[in-house]
Amino acid sequence: MNTNELPRHKLIKSLMAQEAEAIVDNAIDLWERLAIQVTAIIGKNGFTSLYERSVFLVQPTFPWLAPGPQLSKSDHRFEELKTYLEGQNPAQAHEANSQLMITFTDILASLIGEQLMIRILRAAWGDSVWDNSVEVSKNA
Amino acid sequence: MNTNDNGGSSGTGNPASPDKDSASEIPVESSSDGAVVNDEGTVPGAQEDAERLHKDAADLDHIAVNAGQLNEEKVNSLEQEICMGEKAYHGLNKQMIMLQEANANLVIATIEAHKLAEKVEKAKLQLNHLAHHDTLTGLPNRILLQDRLSQAIELAGRQGRQVALMFMDLDRFKYINDSLGHAVGDQLLKSIAKRLTASMRSSDTVCRLGGDEFVLLLPNIEHAADVRLCAQKILAAFTESHKIDGHDIHIGVSIGISIYPDDGQDEEILIRNADIAMYYAKEKGRNNYQFFRPEMNIRAVQRQTIEASLRYALVRQEFMLYYQPKINLNSGKIVGVEALIRWQHPQQGLLLPDQFISIAEDCGLILPIGRWVLREACHQVQAWRKRGLPPVTMAINTSALEFLATGFLENIQTILDDICLEPNYLELELTESVLMKDAESTIALLNALVDIGVKLAVDDFGTGYSSLSYLRQFPIDTMKIDQSFVEGMTRNPDDACIVNAVISMGKSLKKRVVAEGVETPEQFALLLDQQCEEGQGYYFCRPVAAEAFADLLQRSASLTFPA
Repeated sequence: MNTNELPRHKLIKSLMAQEAEAIVDNAIDLWERLAIQVTAIIGKNGFTSLYERSVFLVQPTFPWLAPGPQLSKSDHRFEELKTYLEGQNPAQAHEANSQLMITFTDILASLIGEQLMIRILRAAWGDSVWDNSVEVSKNA
Repeated sequence: MNTNDNGGSSGTGNPASPDKDSASEIPVESSSDGAVVNDEGTVPGAQEDAERLHKDAADLDHIAVNAGQLNEEKVNSLEQEICMGEKAYHGLNKQMIMLQEANANLVIATIEAHKLAEKVEKAKLQLNHLAHHDTLTGLPNRILLQDRLSQAIELAGRQGRQVALMFMDLDRFKYINDSLGHAVGDQLLKSIAKRLTASMRSSDTVCRLGGDEFVLLLPNIEHAADVRLCAQKILAAFTESHKIDGHDIHIGVSIGISIYPDDGQDEEILIRNADIAMYYAKEKGRNNYQFFRPEMNIRAVQRQTIEASLRYALVRQEFMLYYQPKINLNSGKIVGVEALIRWQHPQQGLLLPDQFISIAEDCGLILPIGRWVLREACHQVQAWRKRGLPPVTMAINTSALEFLATGFLENIQTILDDICLEPNYLELELTESVLMKDAESTIALLNALVDIGVKLAVDDFGTGYSSLSYLRQFPIDTMKIDQSFVEGMTRNPDDACIVNAVISMGKSLKKRVVAEGVETPEQFALLLDQQCEEGQGYYFCRPVAAEAFADLLQRSASLTFPA
């Protein structure tokens, strides 16, 4: 186990670890909630740019991920990602989406700082989730 | 118990759902739509909601009572306050949107900067790769070789080990380029690069220096025997043909080997000495390997000197032709003549073809030299005819490079036309290896030559590899028995048998047979005994200058050989 792993990374991985049938829906839900918070700060264009960059960076590992989702309609924001994840086995979908989310938050954290990034995640996914995750990693 | 999931923002029962289920935050309207019921069967927070509603109603009553007491002035003042509040709200909202846009632009600009930095980094890597690798084969180039060689030398020096360097040059690669085109030549180089890489260890470095030159660096060898084994492995890899663009191409390689520290202390000397050894391998008949020896240096210097002065020899008119008669063995009369090139070197004196033709082939000068020989010989035979001397057929040696060069046929036709010489006075001598290299396409060119009236002879017959089937198909007039068989025929029964067999075969195929290199009366007698028709050699006459040969022709009516 990587003891130097960022709490944020651990949190993302633990949130992605769902039962096989819930993995994709859960992943899209987390994206939707994160998108609301991030878009409020950097706008839709900023979010799109970040997201596309993240997909580009993880694509060498997961070539089946498309170059970028069609973000023009917010209703269909993650429809494409959902289709691609559904096309994979649960382990692969979990691994790819964790990597994508980690990459996305890594880039954003490099721009705004880790502390602010965590505050955004708390706002998006709830304080309790974050606190639980930190507690679990302390006890681990 | 929560009997309805729509109280949270997630429809998946997600443990990450935010804490929005506090009953105090649920508006009255929504709590009536979404029935959230606790274990006691009551709606959580319903009591508090009722109390708040009651208080709000009381406030409304108070406002209604006081409304009548408000004067116009107060109303206007309140309206102004509301208006200012709205303006402030809109202003804040506008600022928020502007901040959001600014953030978006900053994020996008930063990501674009990342992309640009990546592109620059990628371009730098590509440039670095390009600077150190050959673009055609992808192999390391001379710069990278020198770097790796200097590192290998440094390490070997510290550890007291040896480093081997193999300089490889493809044999007659120019033929492939000239006859099949550069595209095929390039494909062949790529195929060779792949084959070389496959037959080496991962610690070895295979480089392409350019053209048809490759270098192999073996940075860690125990004994010279290891290098010998490696060279043999490379030669074995070259025995298989390369299938390119419908052609089955066979090509050999000459390998020169130098070893650190014995043959050089630095990379420059090691490469130079391996190169010298490679030239020695070429001289030793090609398709072999040679270890560098110090005495090779002397020959290399001589060779370099010859190559340098060869480039000016044509301009300075230093070449000349000597002529050797072909004799009818029965009558002793001159029946033909062969033109033989000599080079009057300004420092080294008269040089024979053996001393410079292979160098001319290697540096590509054979083509202009060959054209000069052809024009000069044709011009000479015509000059003798114009002087009223008996006509003779002029034979000229033709190298594979000339034969396969573009425009060979057209060049001959042009020269014959320029000099107004009938084509039947010209005979081209070609070796077996030239004829058999690509027999199918050779037949077409030979037929075209015969069609214009030129005669053809197979030179040095018996030393190469001939398909008898092709030999029958080729429009050949003459077969010249190689002088090595003639030289040995009086001492070695096997040579005598070969000479006899060639004479018989020539007769059966209705070809003229000429014995080359006849030097003794015994050889002459044996050839006569075996009913060979024609001969050529010192026994009859050495090659002579044009004027001397004119004199022989002048006296030919009364002159018989041996004189």
